[in-house]
Amino acid sequence: MQQGKQPKKLFARKKVCRFCTDKELTINYKDAKTLTGFVSERGKIIPRRIIGTCATHQRRLSEAVKRARHIALLPYAGNPQE
Amino acid sequence: MRRYEMISIFRPGLGEDEVNAIVENTRKIIEDDQGTVICCARWGMKKLAYPIKKEKQGLYYFYEYTASPAAISEIGRKFRIDDNVLKYLTVKIADDISAEELQAAIADNGKRHAAFLRDESAESAAVPEADAPADDDSDLATETVSE
Repeated sequence: MQQGKQPKKLFARKKVCRFCTDKELTINYKDAKTLTGFVSERGKIIPRRIIGTCATHQRRLSEAVKRARHIALLPYAGNPQE
Repeated sequence: MRRYEMISIFRPGLGEDEVNAIVENTRKIIEDDQGTVICCARWGMKKLAYPIKKEKQGLYYFYEYTASPAAISEIGRKFRIDDNVLKYLTVKIADDISAEELQAAIADNGKRHAAFLRDESAESAAVPEADAPADDDSDLATETVSE
């Protein structure tokens, strides 16, 4: 049990949902600037386990990103070299 | 009447007349169906995140209106036929809208869009389209039509 606990303590960092903490920050598919913070360089949606958004906001976020992609505000597959 | 918002992307090479024709046509479809156009704003030329029909830029137009589902499908059908419309997206905002809400939406529309466009123009300064900010200003006074 002790073996398991030690590395956890070293690396565990409390992740908080950015949309819950910052009420000013809204999810809108027209606001590509905010959405780019939640996609990888390649344009993929960053999973919840990494970025820490809550389930409700992650759901709305993914919907918004998909709409933004449809209307060419965000890439479906970005190329970091470009 | 349901409340919708819609974004359409036109080909960048279009003349003013052609763009206006499409916009007017859309407005006509909505109004023939007893709908109301809350706002129609020109976002200007933007770089597309990926090429559509071999175009790398597109002219963005944003509409907000109330309409019935039949009108929406008719607009979609027209847009899909028209080669000058690269892409469009319609999003339903509310299932129903009362007369007071409609008036309030029309009243507060200009302000909201002015703020939005200001953010956008700062961001899209890198886009090689010098006359875009000037155009935005002239279109800020969004045309509104009430029932």
